[in-house]
Amino acid sequence: MAPVIRHSTGVGFCTPGAQADIAERPSAVSGKTSETRRITLTVNGQQHDLQVTPNAILLDVLREQLNLFGTKKGCDHGQCGACTVHVNGQSVNSCLLLACMQEGVDIVTIEGLAESAGFEQGHHPVQEAFLEHDAYQCGYCTAGQMMTASAVINDDTIDGDEVSLREALSGNICRCGAYKNILDAVQSARGKMRGGQ
Amino acid sequence: MTTETRNPQRQDETLNSIGIKKPRIDGILKLTGGADYAADRNLPNQTYGYPVTSTIASGELTGLDLEEALNMPGVLDIFHHDNFDRLSRSPNDFAAENKVGEPRLPFEDNTIYYQGQYIAFVVADTFEHARAASRKVRAHYRKNDEQLTDIATLDSGEGELPGEDVPGDASSIGDADTAYAGAAVKLDQRYSIAQENHSVMEMHASVAHWENDRLTIYESSQGVVFQRNALSNIFGMPLEKVTVISHFIGSGFGSKLFMWPHAVMTAVAARRLGRPVKTVLTRQQEYLNTGYRPKSLQRVRIGADQSGKLLSLHHDGCNETSPAGLHDDTVSASSMKMYHCENVSATNHLVTVNKCAPTSMRAPGEASGNFALETALDELAIQLEMDPLELRRRNFAETDLSVQLPWSSNHLKECWDNAASRFGWDKRNPTPGAMKDGDEIVGYGMATQSWEAMRQHCGARVGFRDDGTLLVACGTQDIGTGTYTIAAQTASERTGIPVEMIDVRLGDSSLPAGPLSGGSMATATVLPAVSAAVREAVEKLKELATAEGGPLENAESDSIEIKDGRLVSGDRSIEVAELLRQNRVGMIDGEAHTAPGDEKNQYSFRSWGAVFVEVRWDPGISRLRVARVVSTIDAGRIINPLTARNQIEGGIVMGLGMAMFEETEYDPHGYPYNNNLADYIVPVNADMPQVEVELLNHPDYLLNEFGARGLGEIGLTGVAAAVSNAVYNATGKRIRDMPVSIEKLLSA
Repeated sequence: MAPVIRHSTGVGFCTPGAQADIAERPSAVSGKTSETRRITLTVNGQQHDLQVTPNAILLDVLREQLNLFGTKKGCDHGQCGACTVHVNGQSVNSCLLLACMQEGVDIVTIEGLAESAGFEQGHHPVQEAFLEHDAYQCGYCTAGQMMTASAVINDDTIDGDEVSLREALSGNICRCGAYKNILDAVQSARGKMRGGQ
Repeated sequence: MTTETRNPQRQDETLNSIGIKKPRIDGILKLTGGADYAADRNLPNQTYGYPVTSTIASGELTGLDLEEALNMPGVLDIFHHDNFDRLSRSPNDFAAENKVGEPRLPFEDNTIYYQGQYIAFVVADTFEHARAASRKVRAHYRKNDEQLTDIATLDSGEGELPGEDVPGDASSIGDADTAYAGAAVKLDQRYSIAQENHSVMEMHASVAHWENDRLTIYESSQGVVFQRNALSNIFGMPLEKVTVISHFIGSGFGSKLFMWPHAVMTAVAARRLGRPVKTVLTRQQEYLNTGYRPKSLQRVRIGADQSGKLLSLHHDGCNETSPAGLHDDTVSASSMKMYHCENVSATNHLVTVNKCAPTSMRAPGEASGNFALETALDELAIQLEMDPLELRRRNFAETDLSVQLPWSSNHLKECWDNAASRFGWDKRNPTPGAMKDGDEIVGYGMATQSWEAMRQHCGARVGFRDDGTLLVACGTQDIGTGTYTIAAQTASERTGIPVEMIDVRLGDSSLPAGPLSGGSMATATVLPAVSAAVREAVEKLKELATAEGGPLENAESDSIEIKDGRLVSGDRSIEVAELLRQNRVGMIDGEAHTAPGDEKNQYSFRSWGAVFVEVRWDPGISRLRVARVVSTIDAGRIINPLTARNQIEGGIVMGLGMAMFEETEYDPHGYPYNNNLADYIVPVNADMPQVEVELLNHPDYLLNEFGARGLGEIGLTGVAAAVSNAVYNATGKRIRDMPVSIEKLLSA
């Protein structure tokens, strides 16, 4: 039995012959627009003037408006760490931040990691260590792993021993299971960045 | 089709690029955010799709209230049963390479088969608008009184397994019943594996785009050729009008082998709206609609004599399947050939439950079956008061009795010896709880690892360019295993052109058709095709070089070799790029299609391994942890030890998930309530034991010219059994149902 379509507007329920006008349809079926606000975000040292809805999430704005695709969506709930970026040098889950609340802060994504740390030519030591130690497989969680790792290395409250580092890196899931190499890479990069500290 | 010579006695070549630890050639792209996964693009005029899923598991969709959703800001259209395009189902045939995850088309009828089935698809101008509108769609259902969402409710826990026998799955040698009846030592036990979800980091995603009658779809896919073929059937379009692109995949583990319905909804919406549509499933939808390793129940009966010789083995399996798509996990199949036993019977049953279609998940079937068999052997060893490793040694399979064929190459004994020695197995005390270290009780366990070695047909193209670079193209994918890199190593090996000068293109269905990235078969399949394509191109280069006035004029073709990117004949040589420039030729290419031959009828091909596990149980705080894993793997020649080891370690990590954490849990209404990465527990860095992997590197030249077999699945096999066996050694408690949760351990 076909479903009863209640209160249907009829719009969009096209037969193939009735599709010709779709391309000319100006925008939405309803013609409604949602309330947006104008914000300025500072990402990787560049200012961007944007129109966003109040519920737009920083992760989605980075990807869908700024075309910064290096930051990945893995859960949208702060559970996997794939979307980790730096806000004022701290690692945060960009899927848990409303874009309109990020005015006046410095946001750094993987695309700007090396430059933000003063490596204007070439790569961040964490990136080099990940390459050398093969600290990834599919590469999808990798930006988040590296954003966390670079913040962890700079965090004086986190020691460089295996247990401390593993704990600090455990907010970033790697389903390929490259954890051993991730740890090796982070320890190697930490050694280069902090020397004997 | 080019021919190859396969000879197990051949001399090992001296290899320069293969067998070297090579950092991934796609590494910098992945490490800088430059690798383009499916959803990493915003096409001009793009829109966003957002699926709406059923909230009952069995019944009928009787109506949809759409007015409120349609009036939400930015909504462009809502697709559903009454307005969806009329399409044809894909034939869903593996051999014809058009198998799909769920053969039913989206919105095909109003019957609800499982909770999470698509009932509508909202398209809007932004992601936020599509998501908001999807939540305003109201559905009306007639709910069936009866639904089944757990195989275990049909099971008494003893005797025959529930479900329907799958006739094609039943296989046997000898007379297992009679041999069992007469055996001096018997074991009859039940085992189970919980449903596991792949929980890939990158959610399934499609970006569909039409140009006139040509469809391009960017998909997170382990099989662009399969998806291209399926879409061609579904839309009734010629193959060349459909292109599926999957340059990078945020892992798949089987969940992205075969196309799921979101891709069809996305393609239809893009055609109807005349605009590109991007759809990214939510993490929650991943658990509803993209397959899983089905829950399986198993029964193992073993008859042996007092010396531990296996006289009879029955392995019966049973897995959940779906009305939306049949999946037979054949969990017992590999037991036909794991050990020397002349009387073996394997069967499999299926039970249809109201869940979405299961699919292959890393080491499908075999990982589950291996758990039951390898745990049963541990129990038998204890019954016989024999070392579990010694029991296995006494039953080593010198040949594959199930098909009466010799192994192509089998170094399992070396795996056992190597791993046991590195682990320190000789220090094991067989008495449960006897090994203590401070507050912790230590347990040792082991299991054999195994996975079939396969090879498929494959096309590849290479092109020598006048700038000195070499193009390599194949319609397979790199799902994170390192296919880009080993394809470059292969081309480098065969041309002497450095890996850094090789430009590998994969993940595009318009390239020469390559295999699925699954079943541990991509390496053994793709590398010979790349090598053959090089040979084809080199023949053309030789013609150019030996032509009148050419740099190697009058040289015998057979006298010419390619070395370091140069054609060499005696004391004459010419750089390939220079030869092309002299002839004003931009590129000389060669294409080849290779396939397995008759060797499958002459030999049995498998990879082997041994895994040893140390667990630690702290009874004071009820904490169980895996402290150490040692594994030795015989998977033929290792092409890239850097990526290979990583892959085996990753398989072990997923095996630890199976052993300790992973279980998709359903409420009585058929809803997987732990459908997220906080409640579906996967291993994280803090869970990691010390892992020590060794790869034996004995080439298997009967499978291909490089002797490579494949690595994707085998690392995972055996781990759950080794953990369970170690838990018994520590606690005296035998956990036969994976995962070994604390609850089970405390109540056992």
